[in-house]
Amino acid sequence: MGKKILLEHIDKPGIKSYEVYRQNGGYNSVEKALKEMKPSDIVEEVKKSGLRGRGGAGFPAGMKWSFIDKKSGNPRYLVCNADESEPGTFKDRYLMEFIPHLLIEGMITSSIALESNLGFIYIRGEYKWIKKILEQAISEARAAGWLGHNILGTGYSLELVVHPGAGAYICGEETALLESLEGKRGNPRIKPPFPAVKGLYGNPTVVNNVETIATVPWIINNGGDAYAKIGIGRSTGTKLISACGNINKPGVYEIELGLPVEEFLNSDEYCGGVHNGKMLKAVVAGGSSVPILPAELFLKTKKGESRLMSYESLSDGGFESGTMLGSGGFIVYDEDQCIVRNTWNFSRFYHHESCGQCSPCREGTGWMEKVLHNLESGHGKMSDIDLLWDIQKKIDGNTICPLGDAAAWPVASAIRHFREEFEWHIEYTHEAQKRNYGLLKSTKEFFAASVV
Amino acid sequence: MTPIAFINDQPFSITPGETILKFVRRNFGHDFVPTLCDAPNLEPFGSCRVCSVDVALVQAGNAKAQASCHTPVIPNSYIYTDSDRIKKLRKNIIELVLTDHPLDCLTCEVNNNCELQTVAARVGIRDVRYPAGKNHLDKKKDLSHPYMTSDFSKCINCFRCVRACDEVQGEFVLSMSGRGFDSHIIKSNENNFFESDCVSCGACAQACPTSAISDVFESKSVVADKKVRTVCTYCGVGCNLDVAVVNGKVKSIQAPYDSDVNQGHTCLKGRFAFSFYNHPDRIKTPMIRRNGELQPATWDEAYNFIAEKLTTILKDYGADSIAGISSARCTNEENYIMQKFIRAVIGTNNIDCCARVCHSPTALGMQRAFGTGAATNSVEDIKHTDCIMVIGANPTDAHPVTGAKIKQFFMKGKPTIVIDPRRTELAKYATYHLQLRPGTNVALLNMMMYYIITEKLEAKEFIEKRTEGYNDFCNQILKVDIAEMESITGVDRNLVREAAMAYAKAPNAMSFHGLGVTEHTQGSYTVMLISDLAMITGNIGRKGVGVNPLRGQNNVQGAADMGCQPHQGAGYMNAYDPEINKQYEAFYKRKIPFGKGLKIPEMFDAAIEGNLKAIWLMGEDVVQTDPNTNKVIAAMKNLDLLVLQEIFMTETCKYATVVLPGATFLEKSGTYTNAERRIQKVQKVVEPLEGTKADGQIIVDIMNRMGYSQAPYEADTMLEEISQIVPFFAGVKWSELGDNGKQWPVRKDGTDTEILHLENFQRVDGKGKFHYFDFKESNEIVKNGKQYPYIITTNRELEHYNSGTMTRRTGNVDILTEDVLMIHPDDAIKNLINEGDMVCVESPRGKVDIKARITDEVKPGILSTTFHFPDVMLNIITSDEHDSEAMCPEYKVVAVNIRKSKGSFKKQNAPLKV
Ligand SMILES: Cc1cc2nc3c(=O)[nH]c(=O)nc-3n(C[C@H](O)[C@H](O)[C@H](O)COP(=O)(O)O)c2cc1C
Ligand code: SF4
Ligand code: SF4
Ligand code: SF4
Ligand code: SF4
Ligand code: FES
Repeated sequence: MGKKILLEHIDKPGIKSYEVYRQNGGYNSVEKALKEMKPSDIVEEVKKSGLRGRGGAGFPAGMKWSFIDKKSGNPRYLVCNADESEPGTFKDRYLMEFIPHLLIEGMITSSIALESNLGFIYIRGEYKWIKKILEQAISEARAAGWLGHNILGTGYSLELVVHPGAGAYICGEETALLESLEGKRGNPRIKPPFPAVKGLYGNPTVVNNVETIATVPWIINNGGDAYAKIGIGRSTGTKLISACGNINKPGVYEIELGLPVEEFLNSDEYCGGVHNGKMLKAVVAGGSSVPILPAELFLKTKKGESRLMSYESLSDGGFESGTMLGSGGFIVYDEDQCIVRNTWNFSRFYHHESCGQCSPCREGTGWMEKVLHNLESGHGKMSDIDLLWDIQKKIDGNTICPLGDAAAWPVASAIRHFREEFEWHIEYTHEAQKRNYGLLKSTKEFFAASVV
Repeated sequence: MTPIAFINDQPFSITPGETILKFVRRNFGHDFVPTLCDAPNLEPFGSCRVCSVDVALVQAGNAKAQASCHTPVIPNSYIYTDSDRIKKLRKNIIELVLTDHPLDCLTCEVNNNCELQTVAARVGIRDVRYPAGKNHLDKKKDLSHPYMTSDFSKCINCFRCVRACDEVQGEFVLSMSGRGFDSHIIKSNENNFFESDCVSCGACAQACPTSAISDVFESKSVVADKKVRTVCTYCGVGCNLDVAVVNGKVKSIQAPYDSDVNQGHTCLKGRFAFSFYNHPDRIKTPMIRRNGELQPATWDEAYNFIAEKLTTILKDYGADSIAGISSARCTNEENYIMQKFIRAVIGTNNIDCCARVCHSPTALGMQRAFGTGAATNSVEDIKHTDCIMVIGANPTDAHPVTGAKIKQFFMKGKPTIVIDPRRTELAKYATYHLQLRPGTNVALLNMMMYYIITEKLEAKEFIEKRTEGYNDFCNQILKVDIAEMESITGVDRNLVREAAMAYAKAPNAMSFHGLGVTEHTQGSYTVMLISDLAMITGNIGRKGVGVNPLRGQNNVQGAADMGCQPHQGAGYMNAYDPEINKQYEAFYKRKIPFGKGLKIPEMFDAAIEGNLKAIWLMGEDVVQTDPNTNKVIAAMKNLDLLVLQEIFMTETCKYATVVLPGATFLEKSGTYTNAERRIQKVQKVVEPLEGTKADGQIIVDIMNRMGYSQAPYEADTMLEEISQIVPFFAGVKWSELGDNGKQWPVRKDGTDTEILHLENFQRVDGKGKFHYFDFKESNEIVKNGKQYPYIITTNRELEHYNSGTMTRRTGNVDILTEDVLMIHPDDAIKNLINEGDMVCVESPRGKVDIKARITDEVKPGILSTTFHFPDVMLNIITSDEHDSEAMCPEYKVVAVNIRKSKGSFKKQNAPLKV
């Protein structure tokens, strides 16, 4: 059993309620943070812990906090990004639904560190029932004196607000989120300035993922050094992984970073192996945005080393042969799956979710979807593959926000690693119109059909 | 050492904070890097990515593409503007954009002036590789509006229109709806232009890089034979205009981006309301009244007739029986020559101009307080201030371009104060709206000063060093009875206190005022109290502060500068001082009178009494615009000679002896001086309509007829003459005014002045003077308040200009079709008035009918209306009361009674066809 930090008490009956949560040591970190530590001490501990943002980019949390401008005298805000809308990612939902007080406790201690008196949890619109759970938790915490005016008599005050999104994936991008929170259309902002300098209502703001914030209480209770000892190298601590696709045991798992991918995939403690004993074809390791890897490259790096579930190991080889840990959305494809269809499916998502500000993303995502749809349905031509490649390249790195990149990478990696599947769709247009490439290829029919 | 960065391996020094685009453009010119979503007057947006360049941290190193328009330059970085990769990227982006754009350039109105087209050509697009797909080419055009048009099939989603509407105009009409491919521009709640909240400023049309948003004049098309830069004639903001001419006719107007005054912005009057200039109604021939009727005459006949008449009157009654009224709509040169004509040729100080009815109290009040009757600062200073107080002004309607800038400031969360009886647009955004009863400005300002003193927020050092009369002032203020003032003004004292403290505490505070200050019996006093407020808080003599009158007409400042008032000649020198007079005499080479002259209201009295026999009116419709119409008519009727220079037949023409057809601002050259003392070039765009003449030339002609040799009216020579007599014009030369003009005082060496009173005030001893005044109720209320318990105040609407002579002859009349009476719901209920009912408004002078608009923008007991349309003839009810010092009429406080009516007075008062 790996180390559990976030889900340590998840199986305790009633942990959702304030009483049980408190009995299990909940909110101790608030007392410690307020009474024994200076805000700068907390920031220091988080820095020492090496905790990296769990929203996808993996930016060190302590460092982000230290950028925040405390001198201007303007109000500061902590905003929790609970918009979780990336295909394949559902870890925050699990945390918030089943142990809501952990996030609230994290919001309080993090706010103390940032000397902020108002915090927001921006939650995905579809998580309506979880919004209620969080609001319930907030009112319990307030009733118990952990929120509100003059907390624990220390003179510190804090209010938390849960604000629902309205069904746009782009509002998970931190600056679009801030626009949306301000009541505007969720268009990402150009950067700089970054939120730490000019965020919500033009004031210094930290945006962190649910999981990032929920980790802070443990770090306060146990110290940054203790946290840094867990995990591997610069991938300290534990990470929630939401596993789905063709596996035996889909679900949310907390892993110690550095766990071998093979163990995660096959051990019964985690995914329990590929469904129905089929062969592993490909894996998207960190949510729909990260490059897809074929089984060989997923299990072993180009250099032949076993891959580990860590930021560094998964990205070993760059985009040529590696991928990213991303947000921890782990999607497994067995031999029956068609990569072209999957790529088209992702493209459709990004096209639908592009906010439409930047021309490369607005027009490019549309064309990628259109071209992929043609290919997948057997109406493509060879030059389409180059066209796709060209479009994704022109989007990648050339947009206001990373949604453009996120749309480009799955296409690029699919072509890079599964080019023959694209070609098959063009060569055998009749087949492509009738059948699913994956199913076909995994049976003898494929060869028969290919010969025709 | 200044930081540097490299552009294509060449080093250049960086200006701190600049973007890569600015940096490259500064060194290689505007077109070096293509852009689409960037616009000169908008914040960087970064959406098209066409401006991308490669940036590396070492020479020829690993480069990353960056959008140059919003990315700051990194010191020592290497910028590559045209690497192969970047070229391909740009091409690919444009190709993507073109997949959803009709390729019908040849028939498009902006052909050859389309930024998309230019960029496409620049990046070398030849064909589009994408198969035909879903697109927006079937979008319908919007032709609902008299001016604005849209054709969103041409839209490339660059957001420039949205940003122009938000950042420049501040109207928030346009927005992007839908996301991704479905993104599309909408107006208000998915309306068309006409139904939307659009105020027709045209900023979006000018900003749009394609023809997706444009205007009915197709102002972005390139068919023009020439473009002439000139200055708008509609208000004291003084916006610069680029007028396109085709076949000797005005085609369209755009706003130059490099204009210091308006930076590419205008309001609908400046941009669109020009079609009056060749309207069929223009007067095209001189007319002489014969047998009671105005009959066409030649110029010679008219001149002879006038010269003869004037000579007779001079002989029979003397020079003081003749008077001239000049026009703040005309150029400096025309105003100068007008007063010269009256003083040097006729020989009287009976010269005045329409500034009398608007900002005469400002000139007088500020002269007494500071020594100079002009705005102390510039509009530009809004960028540098921390607090703005707007008193008695509604700039979003009356000075729209400055108004838009003030509104932008009001939306930025800094303290702002509006003192106004109406809940104006700015009041809706203000931190403090002090909604006082009309006519109580003095009481309110005294309260503010009381709190500044009692809260110990005075700027002691400033008061000590730079002012006089403070002790007396302070003692008087401390005696003010706050409770009494509170009940007089109707404004909660705590609100006044907070506002006063916000103004006093701001590091830099600016005030703007308009006719709601001046058009009162205590108008000049109020101006002096506003000046006191600035001095007591030390808000004079640096950037971002000051007292800034918003001038109504385009050249109010200039008309006064040029000497169009009885007591001061050109350059404000005392016209009643025999010593000073010698200077004028030497310059004009004639005997110049130093006896007292008549102000406009005095002229009317004198005419009624029979002492004034002739009035020369340059372009003013006194019958419709001066208060107490019936009295004005009586005065006009009693004259032996009324000469009128006009472009249209007005109400006053009905009483004219001779009518002379003048020329519009588009047909003549000269200069206007805007509200911030900026002397700007008005340049002839088209030839005067056949039969008409520049007003200045008309005066010159008559001067010559009457034996005074005056050179023909030419802007440059006339300005040269002015610079020799008006001290603060000393260094003004036509050839050196450039595109953006100069702010007076202009020293001999040509340097001009943005901010007045930097170290010394222009008063005799160099100090600013405090003045105290008790509040005094207007006579109008004292005399008539009981019997006429309502107060009506007059105001302006964005779409029309004063009596509407010009704007009613443009498409503006389709946007705003009539005057209405604003009335509070409580008063409406009390008087059984419904929205749209005719209301009879009665004062001791007469009755008018106006259509009711029920709104809580006015308080109960207060009414408000405009006088843009002659069928109301609102000035039938306004009074004879005027400012005690400057004789500016009290348009803003009229005691009236109301009742529901059938509208019969409207018919009765409606103008006869002349
Ligand atoms: C299109 C897009 C969607 C995103 N959605 C989420 C999200 O749902 N949750 C999240 O935590 N971060 C999301 N991010 C990342 C955030 O922008 C941001 O980096 C993150 O909230 C920072 O928190 P962290 O440092 O704790 O990871 C998204 C980014 C992009 C570009
Ligand atoms: S990359 Fe796409 S989602 Fe992001 S700002 Fe640009 S258009 Fe919007
Ligand atoms: S004309 Fe002016 S107000 Fe109207 S939509 Fe365009 S920018 Fe906005
Ligand atoms: S209407 Fe014009 S300015 Fe507005 S987004 Fe479209 S192309 Fe850009
Ligand atoms: S703001 Fe004034 S000067 Fe400018 S365009 Fe409008 S009317 Fe003309
Ligand atoms: S001009 Fe820079 S992104 Fe459009």
